[in-house]
Amino acid sequence: MDILLQLIYSGVALGMIYAVIAFGYQLTFATSDTLNFGQGEALMLGALFGLTLVDGMGMNYWLAIPLVCLFGLLQGGLVERIGVRPAIKIKSEFGWIMSTIALGIIFKNVAENVWGRDDLRFPSPLDESPIKLFGANVLPMELLVISGALFMMLAVEFFNRKTIYGKAVVATFNDRDAAKLMGINTGLVITFSYAMSSLTAAFAGILIAPLTLTGATMGSVLGLKAFAVAIIGGLTSGMGIVVGGILLGIAETTTGFYLSTGYKDVPGLVLLLMVLAVKPAGLFGKTAIKKV
Amino acid sequence: MKKSYIFALVALIGAALVPMITPNPYYIHLVETIMIYSILLFGLDIVVGYTGQVSLGHSGLFGIGAYTVGVMFMKLAAPLWLILPASILVTAVFGAILAMPALKVSGPYLAMVTLAFGTIIQILINEMTFLTEGPLGVKLPKPQIAGIKMDDRDFYWLVCLMLALSMLVVHRILRSHLGRAFEALRGSPVASDCMGVSVYRFKVYAFVISAGFAGLAGSLYAYSEQYISPNTYNFELTVLFLLAIIMGGRKTRSGAILGATIIVLLPKLLDDIEIFRIVATIACALIVAGAIIGLVKKWLTVNSVLVPVVGTICLAVFSYQLESITDWRLSIFGLMILFVVYYLQDGIIGFMNKLLSAQRITYNQQELELERQQLAKDGIHENAFQHNLQTDSSSNQNEPVLVAKEVLMQFGGLKAINKVDLVVKRGEIHGLIGPNGSGKSTIMNVLTGIYTPTSGQIDFLGQTVIGKTSSEIAISGIARTFQNVQLFGEMTALQNVLVGLHHTFKSNLLDVALDTSRYQKENLHATHRAYALLEFVGLGSLAWEEARNLPYGKQRLLEIARALALDPELLLLDEPAAGLTAPDIKELISIIRKIRDHRITVILIEHHMDVVMSICDTVSVLDFGQKIAEGKPQEVQNDAKVITAYLGGTAE
Repeated sequence: MDILLQLIYSGVALGMIYAVIAFGYQLTFATSDTLNFGQGEALMLGALFGLTLVDGMGMNYWLAIPLVCLFGLLQGGLVERIGVRPAIKIKSEFGWIMSTIALGIIFKNVAENVWGRDDLRFPSPLDESPIKLFGANVLPMELLVISGALFMMLAVEFFNRKTIYGKAVVATFNDRDAAKLMGINTGLVITFSYAMSSLTAAFAGILIAPLTLTGATMGSVLGLKAFAVAIIGGLTSGMGIVVGGILLGIAETTTGFYLSTGYKDVPGLVLLLMVLAVKPAGLFGKTAIKKV
Repeated sequence: MKKSYIFALVALIGAALVPMITPNPYYIHLVETIMIYSILLFGLDIVVGYTGQVSLGHSGLFGIGAYTVGVMFMKLAAPLWLILPASILVTAVFGAILAMPALKVSGPYLAMVTLAFGTIIQILINEMTFLTEGPLGVKLPKPQIAGIKMDDRDFYWLVCLMLALSMLVVHRILRSHLGRAFEALRGSPVASDCMGVSVYRFKVYAFVISAGFAGLAGSLYAYSEQYISPNTYNFELTVLFLLAIIMGGRKTRSGAILGATIIVLLPKLLDDIEIFRIVATIACALIVAGAIIGLVKKWLTVNSVLVPVVGTICLAVFSYQLESITDWRLSIFGLMILFVVYYLQDGIIGFMNKLLSAQRITYNQQELELERQQLAKDGIHENAFQHNLQTDSSSNQNEPVLVAKEVLMQFGGLKAINKVDLVVKRGEIHGLIGPNGSGKSTIMNVLTGIYTPTSGQIDFLGQTVIGKTSSEIAISGIARTFQNVQLFGEMTALQNVLVGLHHTFKSNLLDVALDTSRYQKENLHATHRAYALLEFVGLGSLAWEEARNLPYGKQRLLEIARALALDPELLLLDEPAAGLTAPDIKELISIIRKIRDHRITVILIEHHMDVVMSICDTVSVLDFGQKIAEGKPQEVQNDAKVITAYLGGTAE
């Protein structure tokens, strides 16, 4: 029973990381119906940049976080300007999918050449000995991941709901053309949503780095899982991705333990196909009404 | 014979002669790989080029094809003639499992699901060692035919043959009603559904066919390499396949082959820094020269050439800074994709075609001319209408065709249609009028299954419509036109009507692939029928014009012809006269009358009151989602409520 609880703890921590990345997908999907296929790479770059700051330059972990976030902000803006904006202009779904993939490949390759191909250890800012919680072991870092992820999502949600800039985002989501006619610079809103989306990913990267190894390839699988989470929870539901993330995280840690670590990536796809077959809009998503 | 056939034949014979020209196994293997990739790309093009979906799982499907060979050989020692079809089938089944859930929703879902699939397949192959030998991989000999082991050259010719067959089959599929359906669903999904061509079904169909080709290519690849290991079928390969399709050129076989050549040679090219430097320099020189010519001749602006020029110059300079290019291989791929996506959207073949002739590539004038001559020569006379005036007259004149009861359509708090009853009698022209926003078009959308009503009943010919999909409703006999014209813009007028005639085809994939007499007969009849329908609406002379090039009024008439192709019992016309000139309207009125004379019931939404009053037998008036009046045109015209609705109430 203790083992199961322990698996649940680490499953939740993992799931929250998925949820944060999936949250990034939602941000851009909301404003422009596009998403960044290189989101995992944004996470990876955030983690590696953080590693350089902390390990290379001896900076305090907590002070490095805002810098990593700023880095993510710029990286996301760059992706939107180079990869997404031209595709939106020519209304090509193929265009943005391919160009965000291409940028993702380039980022990964550059990271390999800058930081090397080996996985690196990220020094943990917190005590690495587990603490007891309801009779099962949990790493302090895992608790940090969970609370950090929740904090990030709530902060962005608060921003979207309460500030005038957030209202511009929501307006763009509802009707891009109408928002444009009302004087909202929708292009800027979309760039901003990409910047925010990469920011959350970079933040997730530096959060999870001390728990896993850090390296150029760490992002791809995480980005992929977050896709599954976004679809399972629904691309429009904030609640959905948290539930979906936790569901997937626990499914993976338990499969890894009880079946084989090799198979731990499989439940994601199975769950994904099942949800699509039964409720295509996601467990918590609303079905959109198409206009003719 | 057509030019493209001759070209393909020459190319195939040329490829078949390669082993005679050079005995070097390295080159033979290289060409063989190109041919195998081409087979996969033919299939991928159906999904990417024709239906416009993005698949990131084709390397996984390729791997499934290869591993089907490996497993069947290892475990069952099955012969080649069994293995090849089995690989196609197994991969197609995997394709169906992926596509059926992923294509339920539009958007980037297919890309996301196939991406996940590609990764999972690699993991599964690695893990399921009892079946696949895991990371160790499987070694295979070349296959045997009739007990004789093939050597490298024999196998090369087998691949040649498979390439030729694949090309033929793909060509036949794409020119058939299936290919038309693929193109139509991309052109206008809503119109496809309302023409009885289910968008979902044909997207899945396209993906499954495409998976089948990936399976065939995978199985040939396994024999070609004689070794299968899981890491071959990775994400990089998927990206390369997509790069090949867009770089070579979508919707052409030659583009697929060119793309395959590029992606097979590219990694070899990137192995050697010297060659890469030369290529980068040449590319830079070409782009700069092109940009200068473009600027001088004022085709291009400084802004539009800035990025590619600076990019290629940087690349060329960068190439001389590097010691080794292999580490940067993926970045080069990435840059190439970005370049192709934004500057070479039609691919190299598309670009060449544009450069060589002013004509667009979609319809070759010569081909159209042949089609036209063929049509004249056949001398088959098809009636525009399937219904015969005599046979149908037995049915009761006043029998209701459509009965809607208390239909309520609610969007959030808004009741777009509020408990409307509607009875449409057979053979009448039933007008539906009302101010803007009164719910007329919503009724059309509810009747054709685009919206599901919140409550209420709709019976068409005694059967309920609610719960059926748009395409099922269309097949059952309700055809429609659209307020905002929804034609398949890049297809000719004739092909637009042929999409409407899709339901007359009973041929399956096999008929199409083998070009059986059943398919030929159906195709011939459908083509003549489509032409007759075009003549009926007066568009006979414009049959070979692309729909988007027709003037607006003609586009509306083409929509009517396309709707009539469904052999409907009930035709819904949504503002057919909008934007038409006075003579066009006169023509339209006579066409609608003729349609009624063929005993097709018509519901007409129209704002032109002269049209409504002159041809309608019954008129229903809607206001704010409610029916406020119904009756003969004269009665309705004098109804106080109607006058209030249109002109506003009197001030007290």
